[in-house]
Amino acid sequence: MDPSNPAPASGARAPDRAAARTRDAAELRRIARALRRQVIRMIAPTGQGYVQQGLGAADLFATLYFAELRLDPADPSWPARDRFLLSTAHNTAIFYATLAARGLIDAALLPTYCQDGSVLEINASERIGPVIEATCGSLGQGLSVGVGMALSARRRGLDSRVYVVLGDGELQEGQVWEAALAAGSHRVHQLCLLIDYNEMQVEGHVDQVLRMEPVDAKWAAFNWHVQCIDGNDIEALLAALDAARACTDRPSCIIARTLPGKGAPSLEGVLGHTMKLPPAMAEQALAELQGDAS
Amino acid sequence: MNAATQAEKLKVGDFNARGAPAPIRRVYGEALLQAAQRDPRIVALSADLTAATEIDLFRDTLPDRFFQVGIAEANMIGIAGGMARQGDVAFVHTFSVFATRRCYDQIAMQAAYPRTNVKIVGFIPGLTTMLGISHQAIDDVALMRALPNMTVIEPCDARQIPAAVAATVAHEGPVYLRLKRPDGPQPEGELPLQRGRLALLRDGSDGVIFASGVMCAAALQAAERLAAQGVSVAVANVATLKPLDEDGIAALAARCGSVVTAENHSIIGGLGSAVAECLLERGVHAGFERIGVRDCFAEGGSTPYLLARYGLDAEAIAAAMLRVRARRG
Repeated sequence: MDPSNPAPASGARAPDRAAARTRDAAELRRIARALRRQVIRMIAPTGQGYVQQGLGAADLFATLYFAELRLDPADPSWPARDRFLLSTAHNTAIFYATLAARGLIDAALLPTYCQDGSVLEINASERIGPVIEATCGSLGQGLSVGVGMALSARRRGLDSRVYVVLGDGELQEGQVWEAALAAGSHRVHQLCLLIDYNEMQVEGHVDQVLRMEPVDAKWAAFNWHVQCIDGNDIEALLAALDAARACTDRPSCIIARTLPGKGAPSLEGVLGHTMKLPPAMAEQALAELQGDAS
Repeated sequence: MNAATQAEKLKVGDFNARGAPAPIRRVYGEALLQAAQRDPRIVALSADLTAATEIDLFRDTLPDRFFQVGIAEANMIGIAGGMARQGDVAFVHTFSVFATRRCYDQIAMQAAYPRTNVKIVGFIPGLTTMLGISHQAIDDVALMRALPNMTVIEPCDARQIPAAVAATVAHEGPVYLRLKRPDGPQPEGELPLQRGRLALLRDGSDGVIFASGVMCAAALQAAERLAAQGVSVAVANVATLKPLDEDGIAALAARCGSVVTAENHSIIGGLGSAVAECLLERGVHAGFERIGVRDCFAEGGSTPYLLARYGLDAEAIAAAMLRVRARRG
């Protein structure tokens, strides 16, 4: 046994060292709204970025980091932590905003987002530190890494779980299906995949690029436990993550439909992969995102 | 006789080497198993080539540390990267061409950049297979050498495989291990291997041959032939192709004056290129020729046939050395 890893846990998961964890949906909605404001503030200075994806995925990130992941903000390398991999490593405004809000990176770094020399690059790299569990960005790779992490955890008798976020357009990468087949075949039940299904990729709507549906039947056919939910519904996310954890004979796939631009009515539903965000639009979006209402 | 017994009876020694004796000694497989029995971090991954890469021993002895991932090399590298980040030393196995060219981006992102303990073990290097151009790795060394943080090791023959495995385990970080199974008569004994150091196999004063892998034996034969003609040639086994033993190469080239490189690989990007870069940057002015696959694709055929047909044999090496010496006057 590697001395850097904790002794095998038996049965119950090790206690959560996280301080600010909540399962209160109203509180999570407030957190998600604050994250959305942060996304706008981070992208506004350059006026260009993955704003739509960030707003769309805010509920997913808030729920994962504030309700689900076992982690210790004081010790990001805690060996018993759950692993999180953002395979769509460009969706960083919301990712960094979440990490900062959760105390996993210094919030003072956020204004350096995408500035030359900053560790907060537009594609997340492990220059940031151990909170980036693997450098992705070349699409299609994150799930394979997650399968490896989960297989290794299992052989060591650890109960930590592995969460991977893939984009829907990313499912066009063949490696995703290699990993899907391996995870299903090896029954890697510690693995939870969340597909950020925003129907958007560089050239527009995913179905304009390649016909994707049926997505749920594909994962089921690869021997995964599959749930289709509204990824902007916090209660649905909490319930789906609970069900995924309860499934102990297969890996879990949560297909989370997210709305690009969610939360700012002036941006909702606009399909822009790398969209301009002129100052006036940023101001309007921030105004729309004021307050706690969801 | 049932079908399973029949299949066992009809098994070939190695499906890529025609007429190979059955069974071939599993020098690598034994070395990896021994290393794994000492080091609990070691795991082995297979892409449906478990026996051909000799890890059937590992699978049968340490089944909890063996992972069959199917014919999916890109995924295998990703899984290995994930395992390595959990503290494992992940040995992945397939043929050299699939271990490198097929999953280059995955290696860059999940092994080289993060310096994970992913050990990429590739078999049937260069022209040593009858399976044709789909299976012939003639650019794998060039590809792996170009990746930052990557170590590239190719033992000269079975005698150096145990030391190559030990060096691969001992090095923290990604390694590409390029292996040829001992499917013919092999010399006895073991040879050491020190990462980043060449080994002089034979000394000489009129020229030096820098060789790697199966070309070491051909280089020694060439040196014998040249000695019979009164030309004294040194032969160096460059078993670490990256990091290159620049001091050793520069010193030998400066002393001997005439340099020939010999590799079971394209002349572009491999040992020949590495030696040329080293000598020019070190200011060593030597006569120079490269022996290797001359920027072409080959074909399926027996290894001796292909090595002779594509100019990778003792005769070609000796002729190259004589040309280099003649040009120097």
